[in-house]
Amino acid sequence: MFAIKYRPKSLKDFVNQKEALAKFLEWYKKWKPGSKAALLYGKPGTGKTCLVEAFANDKNLELIQMNASDIRSKKQIEEVFGHASSVASFFKKGRIFLIDEVDGIAGKEDAGGISAIIEIIKESKHPVVLTANDPYDPKLRYLRLYCELIPFGNIPVWDIEKKLKEICEKEGIEYDKEVLHQLAKRSEGDLRAAINDLETITRGKKKITVKDLDVLGFREREKDMFEALKILFKTSSFNAARLSVADVDLEPENVMWWIEENIANEYEKPEEIARAYEALAKADLFKARIINRNYWKLMRYMNDLMTAGVSLAKNEMYRKFVKYQFPSKIRYLSSSKEEREEEKEKLQKLSKLLNCSTKKVKKEFLPFFKVFEKDKSFQKFIESLSG
Amino acid sequence: MAKEFEVWAEKYRPKTFDEIINQESVVERVKAFAKSKNIPHMLFAGPPGTGKTTLALVLARELYGEQWRQNVLQLNASDERGIDVIRGQVKEFARTVAIGDVPFKLIILDEADAMTSDAQQALRRMMEMYASVSRFILICNYSSKIIEPIQSRCAVFRFKALDDKHVEEFVDRIVKGEKLKITEDGIKAVVRISEGDLRKAANILQVASALKEKITEDVVYEAASLAKPQEVKQMLELALSGKFMEARKMLEDMIIKKGLAGSDIVVEIHRQIPSLNIDDRAKVELVEKCGEIDFRISEGANELIQLESLLASFLLYAQKGKK
Repeated sequence: MFAIKYRPKSLKDFVNQKEALAKFLEWYKKWKPGSKAALLYGKPGTGKTCLVEAFANDKNLELIQMNASDIRSKKQIEEVFGHASSVASFFKKGRIFLIDEVDGIAGKEDAGGISAIIEIIKESKHPVVLTANDPYDPKLRYLRLYCELIPFGNIPVWDIEKKLKEICEKEGIEYDKEVLHQLAKRSEGDLRAAINDLETITRGKKKITVKDLDVLGFREREKDMFEALKILFKTSSFNAARLSVADVDLEPENVMWWIEENIANEYEKPEEIARAYEALAKADLFKARIINRNYWKLMRYMNDLMTAGVSLAKNEMYRKFVKYQFPSKIRYLSSSKEEREEEKEKLQKLSKLLNCSTKKVKKEFLPFFKVFEKDKSFQKFIESLSG
Repeated sequence: MAKEFEVWAEKYRPKTFDEIINQESVVERVKAFAKSKNIPHMLFAGPPGTGKTTLALVLARELYGEQWRQNVLQLNASDERGIDVIRGQVKEFARTVAIGDVPFKLIILDEADAMTSDAQQALRRMMEMYASVSRFILICNYSSKIIEPIQSRCAVFRFKALDDKHVEEFVDRIVKGEKLKITEDGIKAVVRISEGDLRKAANILQVASALKEKITEDVVYEAASLAKPQEVKQMLELALSGKFMEARKMLEDMIIKKGLAGSDIVVEIHRQIPSLNIDDRAKVELVEKCGEIDFRISEGANELIQLESLLASFLLYAQKGKK
């Protein structure tokens, strides 16, 4: 596999993630037993694991690696790491622990998984590195306290192109420049995905052209959603509307936000908008009942209401082109995740301090706090909460 | 050096039985339990800001003295994600024995009426399972929302609503303690607005004192208005002139960015309906819709989607030709 064959063996080959690399080296230099672990995070294929492997290779460290989703219990981690941390290695100068994809740890089955990782971090005689796609997942809340966060950005199209070019040349493949550019672009910063796609289209060939791109399926899920919305909003058939989102690879809740975002883009008459929203709101009500009572049977009603219900809210089809939009809610929620986590932490501390629920804090105290914003002693009070 | 900021609602929270205002009969009985160092499971029910949590905390101090924090687990049903989380915390907490000479630990569960009846059933089992090592104090506004089997396992204490005289007593404490300059009308306004809720009284007073050196009736009303969502009226006007997307944007800002509670926004929308420039029959329809949305939110539906559908129904009454 290209993705494995062309993995950087040394940091010298590691062209990207300069900032992350600097931070990582800094962390490693300062590390001593009891220090925080490094939590490398970013989208898939941005080089998190690669960096650690290349680093271990350069420094002649023994890399002891575990995938977090394989961890089922505290005992298990201890078996792998506990053992490794006590026995000295004959051939390597030191050790480094790597636990991959910690956000893949599932809540219940891995009971103790997170706390076992924390134990390892606290007790380990060797540096511990973790990786995650989403470090702000609530279940990592406590783990985060024991970690230094090191972000990995998306890899620029240009750099991905360069890497693809390098592989083609080494493999003796003739290529069209445009092909590499397209491959790089569609990977959206995921180098591994780009390399895998390259491998797919070159299989058994010595020359690749733009036409070869056709064999690739779309990796972008949004593309499907745009198509589904077109069917949903334009059709007047109950069945076609119901089935419009059936193949979309998104959570029902996200599908709901996609539909919500575009109701008023498509429909123009007040009564249509009102009817469509009412159908959507009823679907949402079923969702609440599903969650509250763990009654998944209700899912079918939710699905029909949010698709056919919204679709049949119109008087007649709009013969116009509509540029459907990405849901603003999802965009906002993903861009402000960090702030909201901080906010939540503050709320929880206030709730403890004021002996009431966060709901009450929000309702009865926060609106008033605005008045004190300029007050020095108040600022100090708020700062002491985030400390 | 400025003095340290304190929230008055907390600063003036009573620390002893005798400071608790106007709940003599409840306090007397709880005091007797505390003295015997043995208490039953208890259910405190009553309106907000009448001293339920305060009494629970005073009792905890009385029982355990300095070490009360180690022996008390304070939970909030409306914050904890489901009964499993509560069970986990209770289990962990009840695992170790109490420190000191009281043979049990105390679990204070606030806003217990926020729990579904299934969750309450699980809670009931927990109360039995850990009865030998811990006591529960459940706190709620309405005891009718607590299932029978739990009520029958608890000593039920009803907290009386406070009338103006008692709120004034509390306001007086703060005025003296903080050396506030406040007019007679100012005090009356605080009392009227707090509607028997001492927490509210403390908050309004603190905000009013930050607004003006001398607290008059007007200052108090200004302070109180800060707690209401300000943009609701403007949002409704946008919807009524057919500008749905703009109204929707305002709603999103209020809920997502400012974190306002959906049910508060519905209440404010309802408050605005009488003064809207629309047909009176339309007002009746909209009020019904408000009630429906408020109810759905209480059932756990998504605030944003529900309120958007409410906003969309305002579109129906948009002035014609003003799209």
